Amino acid sequence: MHRLHINGEIHDVEADPDTPLLWVLRDHLGLTGTKYGCGVGACGACTSIVDGQAFRPCEHPVASMREQDVLTIEGIADHPVQQAWLDEDVAQCGYCQPGQIMATIALLAKHPDPTDEDIDEALRNNVCRCGSYPRIRKAVKLAAERMRAEA
Amino acid sequence: MNPFVRIDGESGRITVTVPVPDTGQGVRTAVAMMVAEELKVPVESLAIEQAEGDPETYGSQISANSNTMQRLHEPIRTAAATVRHQLIKAAAQRWQVAEDECRAGRGFVQHGEDRLSYRELAGEAAQLTPSDVVLTPRDEWQVLGNPAIKRVDQAAIVTGKLAYAIDQPADLVAVVARPPWIGATPARFDATDVRDAEVVQLAGGFAVLAKDTYTALKGRENLATTWEGGAPDADSDEWLAELEAALPEGKTPPGDFVEKIYVTPMLAHAPMEPPTATASVTGDEVTLWVPTQAPDRVRKLLEEDFGTVRVVPTRAGGAFGRKFEVDFVLEAVQLARHTGRTVKVLWTRDDDMRHDSYRPLSVHRIRATVNDEGLPTWRDHAVSTWPLSAVLEVTSNPQIMKMMANKYPYDVDGELHFAILPPPIRTGFWRSVYAGQSVYVEEMFLSELDMAHNQVERRLRLLTDQRVRKTLEAAAEAHDGEPQAVACHQNYGSVVAVIAETTQDGRTKITAAVDVGPALHPSGVRQQVEGAIMDAVSTAQGARITVRQGKVVQKSFGDYPWARIGDTPEITVVVVASDAPVGGLGELAYPAAAAALGFLSQGKQNSDSR
Repeated sequence: MHRLHINGEIHDVEADPDTPLLWVLRDHLGLTGTKYGCGVGACGACTSIVDGQAFRPCEHPVASMREQDVLTIEGIADHPVQQAWLDEDVAQCGYCQPGQIMATIALLAKHPDPTDEDIDEALRNNVCRCGSYPRIRKAVKLAAERMRAEA
Repeated sequence: MNPFVRIDGESGRITVTVPVPDTGQGVRTAVAMMVAEELKVPVESLAIEQAEGDPETYGSQISANSNTMQRLHEPIRTAAATVRHQLIKAAAQRWQVAEDECRAGRGFVQHGEDRLSYRELAGEAAQLTPSDVVLTPRDEWQVLGNPAIKRVDQAAIVTGKLAYAIDQPADLVAVVARPPWIGATPARFDATDVRDAEVVQLAGGFAVLAKDTYTALKGRENLATTWEGGAPDADSDEWLAELEAALPEGKTPPGDFVEKIYVTPMLAHAPMEPPTATASVTGDEVTLWVPTQAPDRVRKLLEEDFGTVRVVPTRAGGAFGRKFEVDFVLEAVQLARHTGRTVKVLWTRDDDMRHDSYRPLSVHRIRATVNDEGLPTWRDHAVSTWPLSAVLEVTSNPQIMKMMANKYPYDVDGELHFAILPPPIRTGFWRSVYAGQSVYVEEMFLSELDMAHNQVERRLRLLTDQRVRKTLEAAAEAHDGEPQAVACHQNYGSVVAVIAETTQDGRTKITAAVDVGPALHPSGVRQQVEGAIMDAVSTAQGARITVRQGKVVQKSFGDYPWARIGDTPEITVVVVASDAPVGGLGELAYPAAAAALGFLSQGKQNSDSR
């Protein structure tokens, strides 16, 4: 039995201890907004946030989770980053975007006014195969600006 | 009221049925915009449904060859305009007034102070045949052509709620142990160490089925397999040498000529969502939930084996030609039939990268006679390659390819010649198909012939086609800087011109002008061009598939260096105003962008090595 703290709720899950958190989220808990893209931390489709940091659930066995707070896309609502994504009409197929959004939320927590270099670094391992990058960059900046104005 | 549009008489809800799957190209939005325009209602008021595979009702349902908009815009707009006329006719009959005194808009038909909602009229309207159907003229469009209209699924995407093929529930998840070298066939297996999973031998591998994904993956890891046959020594450098040796004769120009050889590499599709499909079989019936680009073809194919076939297209996390193939679909069907359960087949990224249907390797030899001004006056282009796809046999016919691939927009006499060798690895349609190779090579060659003069002016001297000229001029006007690299592409009823430059401080700037006729869904038009440019960034910076010792070397995004956000150039997209008919776009910009960025990066390499 593994005790997980996900999106503010406690879940007790029966699973092989080697099971990557990604498959626990998707197959055991039905949190399918976290996407599978590579299984080796190379594409960022599953990016979530653990203790405030961007985190790849595909690389972490469920047994390694020490009751940290896991935040997935399902735990985010009406966030300025999501709104910026809507306003810039970012997504094409959309598959990578929950991961892009989670990586951006983690970035903006650290860098409220990110430079292009900060964005390039934070999103370096979030692949978008449709090529929505120009819009992602605009949306990151728009969200940052609005969040600074609110703060 | 018709296959594309219906109005619920109880709720008044208008439902649009989109006949073609949405793999990210935006067809759901474009179709919804067409219906919203003709029914004079907001896009967001529409319920949008995906049509199941049903070619008898919808005709062709494929998403390929950049022709969805060309194919659909008239039937869909006509279907929606017909409903509008039916509603007006029903209202006019109730009020006993002339139809042309009534107006439809915002969900009501109005006549003076009187109005009736579409909901109230739906029942009567459905019984009526309109006397005349007039499409809303372009100068009255409110929705079509409106750049503020955004993709209909954005809210579901940013909340993670949009369900893709991989999110389809199933009793069992299957992963397949695939050939360890090209062409190997499964011989036998030993499942002693496999826990909580069933193993099924297929024609192309060993499927491991379990209740959840990780148990299946772990089962596959612990499965011992034996393989036979195939090509354990296959090597893509040897394939390249074979292609080089097979270059067709072509023609030799009289007198002096310039000759250059180009190679375009194999490429994988690598959609973010790898191939996956879910199937359920009961007796003579099969139901499929699949991210296919061709639900009609899948249905026809399975009707050879089953009495009743339901093909439910799911959303696809990208496709790019990969999901035109049916291999992963047939695996799901076979395993569902074998187990009697609902089975989801999942390809891992490694499976996807190493067992794709690749863009074929190609070798090109271009010869041209060149005048004093550095312009070609005669050209000959010989190509040695493999068929573009095993799915369409015509692509292995050199005579047909010779015609299809000839997309040279400039007024220089010349021909293409193809040698098409049997493919040593599976090939498949990749964005822009033949043009991604032939146009790319010809534009590279044209740029290299004379690097001293202005690349826009050189091309304008070779262009008489007014549409291409105008598009190139629009790009030149919009490009704030030097036109160091330039390329044009006319195809799918549309034109693109691309200009690229490396600035003094090392940034890459790229400007693309497109003429697609009326841009029905302008934000989508820009997205397609931006996406094609990003594909060109990836191939220009060296993404390629290679084979060593029988294996595809690349296995994930770590070693298939697809572009990242930091590789993004400064992109300007200009949508050229045009009276041309609706054209296609998805594949238009890649070849020109690849040629422009390819020429730039070659220049960079040359200056780095100096």
